[in-house]
This record gives sequence, structure tokens and C-alpha cells, in this order.
Amino acid sequence: MRLFEFQAKRLLAECGVPVPPGILIRSPSEVAGLAFPAVLKAQVPVGGRGKAGGIRVVHHADEARMAVEELLGTRIRGYPVRAILAEPRVKVSRELYLALLVDPRTNRPMVIASAAGGMEIEEIARQAPEQIVRKPFDPFIGLPSHLIRSAGKALAIQDAPTFGAILEAMVGLFTSQDATLVEINPLAETPDGLVALDAKIVLDDKAAYRHTELFARLSEEQKELGRTDKTPAEVLAEERRITYILLEGEIGLITDGAGTGMLTLDLIQEAGGRPANFCEMGGLANAEIMAQAMEVVLANPRVKALLISLIGGLTRMDEMAEGIVRYLERQPVTVPLIVRMCGTQEEVGKATLRRVGIEPFDDLDEAVRRVVQAVEGASACRS
Amino acid sequence: MSILIDQNTQVLIQGITGTVGSFQARIMRDSGTRVVAGVTPGKGGAEVHGIPVYDLIEEAAVRHRIDAVLSFVPARSALDAALEVIDAGIPLLVLTAEGVPDQDMVKLVRYAAINGTTVVGPDTPGLVSPGKCKLGVHPNRVLKPGPVGVLSKSGALSYEVCKALTEQGIGQSTIVGIGGGPLWGLSQQAVLRLFQQDPETKAVVLLGEVGGTMEQEAAAYIEAEMDKPVVALIVGRAAPAGSRMGHAGAIIEGEEGTAASKIEALRKAGAWIAHRPSEIPLLLRRLGV
Repeated sequence: MRLFEFQAKRLLAECGVPVPPGILIRSPSEVAGLAFPAVLKAQVPVGGRGKAGGIRVVHHADEARMAVEELLGTRIRGYPVRAILAEPRVKVSRELYLALLVDPRTNRPMVIASAAGGMEIEEIARQAPEQIVRKPFDPFIGLPSHLIRSAGKALAIQDAPTFGAILEAMVGLFTSQDATLVEINPLAETPDGLVALDAKIVLDDKAAYRHTELFARLSEEQKELGRTDKTPAEVLAEERRITYILLEGEIGLITDGAGTGMLTLDLIQEAGGRPANFCEMGGLANAEIMAQAMEVVLANPRVKALLISLIGGLTRMDEMAEGIVRYLERQPVTVPLIVRMCGTQEEVGKATLRRVGIEPFDDLDEAVRRVVQAVEGASACRS
Repeated sequence: MSILIDQNTQVLIQGITGTVGSFQARIMRDSGTRVVAGVTPGKGGAEVHGIPVYDLIEEAAVRHRIDAVLSFVPARSALDAALEVIDAGIPLLVLTAEGVPDQDMVKLVRYAAINGTTVVGPDTPGLVSPGKCKLGVHPNRVLKPGPVGVLSKSGALSYEVCKALTEQGIGQSTIVGIGGGPLWGLSQQAVLRLFQQDPETKAVVLLGEVGGTMEQEAAAYIEAEMDKPVVALIVGRAAPAGSRMGHAGAIIEGEEGTAASKIEALRKAGAWIAHRPSEIPLLLRRLGV
């Protein structure tokens, strides 16, 4: 779960990291209590807000009211702005970058620091790779003091004790709340000391069960501020916990693996077809999940043909065939349905499909060709 | 030869009394794998298809030599179950669980490294040396013994490619599923190194996908140290940026995560690039396999 800035800052503040005193504004009338000059920051869960016009500096209440009115009506990179974080403007002498994540190369937690803060880390990596310090540390030892000193020295930090306290607070948050990223960017040097001016925190959804209260509170806030313009298929997929990504084409796709799902997407596109979605059921799918996946994918009215591509190891083909039949018993499929089936218990599965008049394919390339042709045929008939 | 496992490998299945565990135990045993024991806490003394079940690994280890563990333990208990395997001094652990929290993986991998256990996974179908040992859930019909090493992040994609190879008469030395990430025990680079050292493996097929930088690191290893031919297929060429494509690790964030940049790195390193499974046997034939 990627947190909004105000949520991330609240968590950091609770751990003792200095953040500017901010107010969350939901309507223009709420600007009354602000101190000026103030910074208004659109709360959207996406980077590059500044460039997209999502951050404004305002000097008096009228200007603030107008800016809030304007911002609340806009979208930033596709996300509607429903709340604004208002903070007093801070005098900044230097912007630094500081983050914690797991280094996928060593599988260890790692501090990333750079004196070139304020831009995204990918940008720093392109423009000033020599200014990025990476310090992995042992998860059983924790963050050693020498490493704090070393990072502090690399950033030419004046106030070493505060810097150390911030870094230790970040490590504490990272570990105790199962974060996958805790990023302060910029960490600003100001006349009043170090301040976290912007923050990004990503919590590990896989560990949500260990933090049910925190996750519930954060998702409740996000639901109010987040995207509500989801399609019925997307909402259904979310309820069913099926991986479903809406795309722009006409060929519906269901697979029983992530890798083969991506492969089939590539093959459809390279055969001149346009996928309507990516949908992957995971390795432990059963008949009910299969039927639900069909329901999700066919809820998209743009789908002109459906390809179900299965090659099961853990997933059993007898179960998958059972799921397809179960769906067909509930409601007929009105678009061409092409099933490719191979793997564990496939003989049983294929026999089940043949009983309802579906002849499964064995060859993936051929199944892809057929589904692309089916859509071309359908559009030719209409024109 | 093969890598990591062979016909003498004695296997213990963690979670053997569950639906998946007992179903796969029978297939593994029927395909010739020495499944010597199973463990499920509270089910000690039972049998699954004639395989004895113990409450604890330490009890099983008194009765049997155990070379490898295949774990069907769900994600929430995966760390604890893995610590039990590592503490028993077992050299190889395969984690099939999907959704193990990152902090758990960090501890698990570090503890395994300290104690000398090799971890494959998580979110993997495991590994198999056709005709010798099956420490995983791959469908048997796509497998055939032979000279090609296969490594893959995705289980189903490796079945797809093995099907193409087997149908063209090309067998496999070992097929290793390293898992869908975002953190991995054994990396692509580590598996490439094992294949490079294995006299039975004549060529390697690397199956990668969008997200992260592991393929770039594999490419650096291929360029620096491999003299066996490598054929690579990278999927997710049509994947939109920023969406998680079913695997926790498969998300394009930044330039390095794209299929194009991985393909470019592998091509530069001397790997042969395939675009679909059916091209792979043709490329391997041309390379003299």
C-alpha cells in the first residue's frame, strides 16, 4: 500500500521525525487558519506532482482559497485531487535524499542517501550517480552507528545527532510496520534544523495481517481520497482478489500464471491483436476462481473474444474445466471462447470441456492466432 | 549430473498432509523421487501414500537422511517452517509459498546463508531434473531428460518452454524456478553459475520478465564468465508501466525494469534472444544442441 504524503508524514512524526506542522484541507473554506506564506500540496498517490502543477505557494487567504478551489477540481496524472496538505513555507538551505528499502541484490535492508535531494532517485541516478550512497546492513544486527556516521559524512550533515535520530526512527518504522520503502525526499536543512519536507512510504501488503488496525485506518482514508472511477470489472476483480489489469483492446485473457500471462499478452500484441486485459489467477486457482475470473473479464463490454490459456503445475486442469463449465451453466458466453489447456490432470479437463462442445487447443501459438482471427472476423462482419 | 538435486536426493515434504502436499507427494514419488518423509505438526505417526509423517523435522532427521525439503507451508508460517529446516542443517529448501512478507524473507535468506542452506523461491514451482528427481510441481508430460538447463522466474512459463523443447525432442538437465520475487533466495546469476559448472548441461535457457534489475546482473555474469550458449526469453514486452503483472516482482518502475532494457543487456552480453517458446528449440538446434 502506497501511502499519501500526509499519512506518511503522520507515521514519521509519530516516530519523532521532524515534519512541518500541516493541516489537511478538503474545501476552500478551510484555509482560514493558515499561516502565510504557505505551501499547498495536492494529495495524490503518485510522483512528479510538482511538475504537474500539484504544488502551489500562496501568500494570503484569498490566493489560498482560489488555489484550493482550482486544485480540488483537477486530476494529477489521472488521480482526482480530493485533499490538500497545507504547510507553512520553510526556508531551505539544502535538499537531501534519504531512504530505506530492501536491496534485492543482497536481500538486506539498505540506507540510500544523496546530497542531491529534491528530485526523484531515478533522476539522481541519471544525473549524479556518484552522489548516491548505498549502505546495506545486517537484519540481525540492525543499523550500526558507524554507518550513520558514514552516511552523515557523505551528506556533509551539520547536525549529526538529529540526522542519526531520524535515520534510526526510519529503521524502526521500516521494521516494525513492515514497510518496503521509507523515503524522505527532500530532507531539508533549514535554519531550524532538519525537516522532512516530503515523504513516501510503501507498506508491504503481504504483511497486512500483522497490522490490521493500521491498514484498516489507512485504507479507509485512501478510499475517501482515492480513485472511485473504477470499471465494474475492476471492482469485481478487487472483491475476488484476482489480478486484473484493464487494457484498451478487445481480446479478453485469462491465464493461470503471471509469466505465461505476460507471454500471452506479448504474443497477442505481436500477432496484431489488442488485449482487453491482463488476468492471472495464481498457482492455487480452483474451479470457483476460474468461474469468477470469467465473470470479471466478461464484465468488460469491450471484450469481443476470450482466450483462456492454461498450463498447470499446481493448478489442476480438471478443476479449471469444471470452473469453465460452471460459468457456462450460469450464463452463456456470447463471444468466441478459445481454451488452451495443458498440464496436471489435463485428460480429465479436456474430456469435461468436450462434453460441453469446447475443443481445447494444445498449442499456444495456434490458440493466439485463433483468438486474433476471431476478433478480426467479428469486426469484418459488422462493417 | 544435474544441478542441486540428482537421483540420490532424499526429500522431505513440509505440509504433506494438506490437499496440495499429499496430491503432489504421490506424483513426485510415482515419478521416481525418493520422498522419504513428511512433516505436519500434530499429524506425527500418520502416513501419506505410505510416506511416514512426523511432527518435527528433527524427529524425521533421526530416522532418515534428508537432503532437501519441499515446503508447501503457507506464507504466514513460511518463515518459522524455514527456520526449522535451517536449524536441522538441511542443505536445500524450496519455498512454494506466495506472499511471504519481505521482512520475513530478509531474515530467512540471511539465516539460511549463515547456516549454509540454499533457498529456492519463494513463489516457485520448485526444481526438477527429469528422470532423476522432482522437487516441485511441474507437469510431468512437458519434461524429458537431456542437456538443456532451464531457469525461470515464472513456473508456468517454464512449463510452456519445456513443452516446446520436449515436443522437439530436446530434453532438460535441470529446470529451476527461482520464483516471482520481489525477493529471491537463489538468483538467476547463482543458477547460471551452477549450470556453467555442470558437465551435463550444454546450453541454458533463461526465462525472465519485467521488473527489477536481476536480468541485467545475469547479463553481466553471462558476459564475464559463461562459455555455454544462453537463450533468453523476456516476457512483459506489452506490459504497461506501473502495474504489478501478477508476480510481486513484475512491475516496471524506471527504465531498467522494462523488457526492452533487459533484452538489450542480454543481447549485448551474447545471449540469443527468443520472442516465443516455439523459437527456443530452433535456436538451440542452431547452436548445436
